[in-house]
Amino acid sequence: MTIMSTVLEVTERRQGPADLLLLKGRMDAATAPAAEEHLTRLIEGGSRNIVVDCSELEYISSAGLRVLLSALKKLKQCGGHLTLASLLPEIRKVFEIAGFHRLFAIFPGVSEAIDSTERTQGS
Amino acid sequence: MTSEILSTSLVLFQMMCVVVVFAYLVTRTRFCAEVLEGAFSWKNQLFLAVVFGILSIYGTVSGVSVLGAPVNIRDLGPMVAGFLGGPIAGLAAGLIGAGYRMSLSGFSAVPCSIATILAGLVSGLIFLANKRQFPTIPVAVSFAVIMEGTHMALVLLIARPFSEALDLVSQVAIPMIAINAAGMFIFAFIIKNLLLEKKTREERDHFQGELERKNAELQIAREIQASFLPEHIPDLPGYSIAAESFPAREVGGDFYDLISLPDRRVAVLIADVSDKGVPAALFMALSSMVMRATAIWHHQAAGTVRDANTMIAAESKSGMFVTLFFAILDPDRGQLSYVNAGHNPPILMRRDGTCEILPATGIALGADPDGTYEEKTVMLERGSILLLYTDGVTEAEDVGHRQFGVDRLISLVKESREFPADRILSGIREAVTAHAAGAPQFDDITLLVMRVGS
Repeated sequence: MTIMSTVLEVTERRQGPADLLLLKGRMDAATAPAAEEHLTRLIEGGSRNIVVDCSELEYISSAGLRVLLSALKKLKQCGGHLTLASLLPEIRKVFEIAGFHRLFAIFPGVSEAIDSTERTQGS
Repeated sequence: MTSEILSTSLVLFQMMCVVVVFAYLVTRTRFCAEVLEGAFSWKNQLFLAVVFGILSIYGTVSGVSVLGAPVNIRDLGPMVAGFLGGPIAGLAAGLIGAGYRMSLSGFSAVPCSIATILAGLVSGLIFLANKRQFPTIPVAVSFAVIMEGTHMALVLLIARPFSEALDLVSQVAIPMIAINAAGMFIFAFIIKNLLLEKKTREERDHFQGELERKNAELQIAREIQASFLPEHIPDLPGYSIAAESFPAREVGGDFYDLISLPDRRVAVLIADVSDKGVPAALFMALSSMVMRATAIWHHQAAGTVRDANTMIAAESKSGMFVTLFFAILDPDRGQLSYVNAGHNPPILMRRDGTCEILPATGIALGADPDGTYEEKTVMLERGSILLLYTDGVTEAEDVGHRQFGVDRLISLVKESREFPADRILSGIREAVTAHAAGAPQFDDITLLVMRVGS
């Protein structure tokens, strides 16, 4: 039996034109504020292209969705982009139920997500 | 020589033990507590004067010969009394100690007595200068050193013959200063600890009070929130309906509603605000009022949800959103027109055990101001069961983090489809509780069951 983690690890790194945020573990009401802090700091620090790598995100609750939606809204307002990459099937399902898959730009992998931000920057 | 040093050290050690016990007991008396609170009363002053006067007498009586010279802690009591209660207590304790010293006479009686009185008076003045607070440990110990130095100087100035005075001072000065400084350190240390303890206790009490007040407020909030839910289920001939909401914390973000519309029609809705606790509850209050107002205005599902979305999106600055299933039931025709705004798909169980889920027809409210919502219609035949639920039901976890799941929910409804609505609801609730088996409820849980044919 695999025990699901109860914590969320947030790692931040600059990759090409984008700021990459790796979410690892469980993003719920207790852990989402940590991710929100990172996103807020990045956006306030002038970051306009944020790619969230969800390849190791095991669970997301509505509190987690709220944090991502909040970042998306803030970035849109100032002409920025938030893209999601590598959603596990369960996570993708949560996005689909809420209808968020139509709101977020979602890519199968991080490199595609970064490429897309390059394209939007170039255009 | 070695054994003499050893036995002298032992006597000094015993003296310090007496000081420790004395300091511990005195600082824990009610009088001392009041003094440390900063309360001035003659009773407290008298207490300090007498107790530290006695300590001063003990200091004289317990005086030991260190390498042949008489060493004592007579000045310690008055110094502490002054630091604790001010110049009056210090001076009075000093006078008691000095009086006893005078009664013993001897060639250094006058300078020693003056030193003891001065010790109490000056420490009291330092207390006043320090805004009526016990000074810090370094200040208190430094003062003891300087005071004993002054004591020695007074002996040299006043005691005659001078040669004897010089002889005495040269022998006792260093041990006198050291032992009084050590005694002062013990007192200051214990008193400072006591003050720190008191401060910690006060802070704890403060936070506890604050916590109790917040809890009381949350209880009130819980009652107010419960009052936003329908007080009773409208009586709908040919239908049995049951609904309940259990917040995970005092307040939550789930809600359901049943709104009577013209032509016997009824709006049925269930909703789940993102996140939990107070932020979710505030947004729930807003959303439930918006839904009531728009439902009564439109009488039609898609229009209601579209308008509600516009209003809620305008209020959602922090990414808050609401997943919602909204339906209008025409009970006479058994027709249900619904919009699913990103909510967990409700389960429609037919009498024959076949089941249909009512998937999302639009995005959660508040997420996208330009969201579009499609309206769909299903017919409810006799014996059909419609189950609306929030994700707290299907995502309830057992100790191994296994979720309750949709499949289990569907099979539960299937098994109990012959039962009335309230029994189906309590059956689901019990199964979810048993699944979570003592684990704290993680998310708000809300259920609404409608059965066609009561």
